[in-house]
Order: sequence, then C-alpha cells, then structure tokens
Amino acid sequence: MLTTLILGLVLGGTYALLALGLTLQYGIARIMNLAYGELTLIAAFVVVAAFQAAGIPPLAALIAVVPAGYALGWVLYTVMMRPLVARSESRGRLEIDSILATFGLLFLIQGVLLVSFGANFTSISYLDRGVNVFGVSVALNRLIAFGICVVAAGALIWALARTRWGLVMRAVALTPGSAPLVGIDVNRVARQGFALGTALAAAGGVSVAMYQTFSATGGVVFTMKALVIVIMGGVGNVAGALIAGLALGLIETFVSTTIDPGLTMAATFLIFLIVLLWRPQGLFGRG
Amino acid sequence: MLEVRDLRVRYGKHVALEGVSLKVGAGQMVAILGANGAGKSSLLNAIAGRIPTQGGDIAFEGQSLADVPTHALVERGIAIVPEGRGIFPALTVADNLSLGAIPERARASADGMRADVFELFPRLAERRAQIAGTMSGGEQQMVAIGRALMSAPKLLLLDEPSLGLAPIVAKEVFAALKRIRDTGLTVLVVEQNARATLALADFAYLVEAGRVTGSGPAAELRSDPAVVRAFLGGAMASET
Repeated sequence: MLTTLILGLVLGGTYALLALGLTLQYGIARIMNLAYGELTLIAAFVVVAAFQAAGIPPLAALIAVVPAGYALGWVLYTVMMRPLVARSESRGRLEIDSILATFGLLFLIQGVLLVSFGANFTSISYLDRGVNVFGVSVALNRLIAFGICVVAAGALIWALARTRWGLVMRAVALTPGSAPLVGIDVNRVARQGFALGTALAAAGGVSVAMYQTFSATGGVVFTMKALVIVIMGGVGNVAGALIAGLALGLIETFVSTTIDPGLTMAATFLIFLIVLLWRPQGLFGRG
Repeated sequence: MLEVRDLRVRYGKHVALEGVSLKVGAGQMVAILGANGAGKSSLLNAIAGRIPTQGGDIAFEGQSLADVPTHALVERGIAIVPEGRGIFPALTVADNLSLGAIPERARASADGMRADVFELFPRLAERRAQIAGTMSGGEQQMVAIGRALMSAPKLLLLDEPSLGLAPIVAKEVFAALKRIRDTGLTVLVVEQNARATLALADFAYLVEAGRVTGSGPAAELRSDPAVVRAFLGGAMASET
C-alpha cells in the first residue's frame, strides 16, 4: 500500500507538471494546445540523445532544455498563434482555430520525431538505483523527477499568488478585456504565458525521459492526461491542476497494481467522464 | 494638455462623431454633456484608443495619440474609467488597486497613492480583502476610480461615473470627484447628469448627434436658458 502511494505520487508529480503548463497556455493565452504532448516528447528525446551521444546527465540538460522550451513556445506563439489571435473577434473562435492549428502541429512534430528518432520505444538508465523511502525502495531517478515537479510547481504557485508578475498573469487570465486599462499589453502577456507553458512541457519531458519508456507516437497520451487533469482541477486553476495531477498518478498506480495494468487508461477516462458530467467546472472551480 | 481636433468616428454607416474639437487645459475639470447616443462615449473611447477613428487628431501634451494602443496610454499618464467600470471582478479590492499601479511610472508612488485612495474612499480600506465583483455598483465605481488614481495619472478620463447608481450613491461619487478635482488633477468627464456635473466642472462641451453644439465655462452654462431647457429640464426646477 505504501509502495503504491509513493510510486503514485511520483507518477502524479510528472502529470501535474505537464498539466500546469497546459493550464497556463489555456488560461492565459486562451490556446488549447493539442500538440502539448509532442512538445514534451521533443524535450524527452533531446535529453535521451544528449545522454546517449555525449553522456550529458538529464539533470544538467534540464538547465538548457527548459529555457529552450520557453524560446520555442515564444516562437510558436509569435509565428503560429498570433495571427489566429489577431483575426478572432471572439474567444470561441480562437479556441476552435487554436485546436485545429495545434492538431496539425501535433502531426508535424510527430513526423519530425519519427524521422529523427525512429518509432521504437526509448528509455535510458540514469540513477536507477533504489533509495529507501519510508521502507519502500524507490528509484533515485523517480525521486529526482518528483523533486523537479515540486520545485517547478511550488515556484509557479508562489509567483502567481505573491508577485506583481503573477498578479498581471491572473488579471489577464480572468478579465483580459480590462487589462489594457491598467497598462497591460495582453498580447505580450499571452505570449509569455504560452512560452512558460512550453517551458513546463519541456521540464515534464525531462522528467519523463528520466524514468519512463516512451515513443515518438505517444505524445497524445500526455496531452490527454494533462487535459483530463486540467479539467478535473478546474480550467486555469493552478493549485487544482497540481492536486488533480497527484490524484491521477495515485489512481493509475492503484488500479494497475490492484486490478490490472491494462485498465489505467480506462480508469483515467472513467474519472474524467464522471467529473465532466457531475462537475463540469472542475473539482476546484475556475482559477 | 489634451487637444482634440476635428475628430470623426463611424461604426459602419452610422456616424458617431462628425468633426468634434475640444481642449482640456492642465488642472481643469472639463465635462462633456449630452443625451444618450449623442456620441459622448464614442468621443471618450476614441481618446482612450479603444475604437478606431476615421479622421482628425488627438494630441496629449503636444504629441499625437494616433495609433497609441490603450495599454500604452496609461504609461503616458492617461487613466481611464470606462462605462461599465472595467474592473477585475474576480480579484480583491487590494489586487484591483495594485493592478492600477502596474505601469512603470506609478510604481514608486504606489504606497502613497494607495493611502490617498483609502482616504478618498474609506469603504475601500474596510473592504480591501473583498472580491470586487461581489460589491455594490457604487463601491465598484469607487474601485474603478481608485484603480485609475493608482496609476498616478496626469489626465483622468471618466465615462458616465454615475450611470446606474442610486441617487444617494451617485452623490457620493460626485463628492469624490470634487475632492479629486481639488487636488489639481486634470479631469475629462462624460456625463448625463448635467446638473451635478456643471456644479463641479470648470468648462463644458455640449454634444448632440455627433457634433459640439455649445461650450463655455460651466458657471455660464448653468444659467444659460437654452442649456437649462435642453439639459437641466424640470429636474432643476424641482430641486430649487
């Protein structure tokens, strides 16, 4: 039971990290990014390639991959999303356009990943010796991945709640129409939010690379799980996404150890459906 | 300080402003009076960069404001309280005020300004932790005006600050405007309540069907028979 709890929390930490980025992109930039999982995979493959080719440890790669993710998000927003934002008069229009555009981006990135890294499942052995946590042996790489989640999510939640930057982000997420009245350039803030979300996708990708087995076509699973968590936690609700992410990790681990590993996805979507039907605004409401 | 020359605004085929010109001098409180649909709000929104114009020029401190987006105006010293207030209803009163001080120019003076706003509207000090959207209309108007003041503006634009407020609350808002005027801040206010506004303003423009049909010092307009008939009507008689 304790093993399930600890392994579940570790898995949930990665999910939560992924969901935070998606909820930032949707909450601040109003873009539902269906290529989110592929962005995560880019980071994961880069980390693996750097490790296998040059022996660069994933933790060191993290320092370069996260800012690179921010830069990639910045460019994606400027080149691809900004024209959609500029021509959409309503929020609904932007949501539909961005879903279609990022759906295309998904296959574009997937194709590039397939050509570059092949279709095989990939994983690396990095710090995989066991560490004793309350009597349970947990691989060190999983603990580090969990640590990345705790630090990144903690810093984000603190910054959103306590800093001037966070106040501006919240203002744009909640009432974009009023933001220009206090001198906020909504376009600039949306670009920052989208770029930061991509940076979190990259951080999630580093965590994935450290302890999971993944393939170039598996990005959609990350997107779906992040989406489920975002909706469960309440769209735009950062703390809700964190809690829902941890909960999903626990549930999946519990189902796979006590019932059947093949049922984890089914369990995830069963919960998703229940939440959608019973509390469409999310368990913790809108952020 | 602010000069509008021959401003034209159209919405499709509908002409909202047909060559409006006006001047606001430093330290003045200038009112724009007119009935519903006369073009008052279009005028203020055009100055605030919230709607496109089809001709004419708007200059602030000698510099043209053409193509200056709304968010950049605040940094230049123009604060806007739009119709409908434009506050952040999901955030607290304190957060709304802090957002007012986001522009670079306002940051150093934010603490002093917050104290001034709380003195002007003691209710906001009591309710600083309340979610702004749960307050009454008059209190939300105070939040909007307080937030505008937080940006340490040189010019304050107010669009119908008394609209939709109960008479006693509107009175409170006008009392606050009087105190703001007395600090020497330059104010341009659009209002339907001509009587209360003329009692405060230094100068006023009368707008009808997209044109300026009259202007003059507020004290003169108050006793102008034509103005009394068109804008002050029976309400004046009932009060005096």
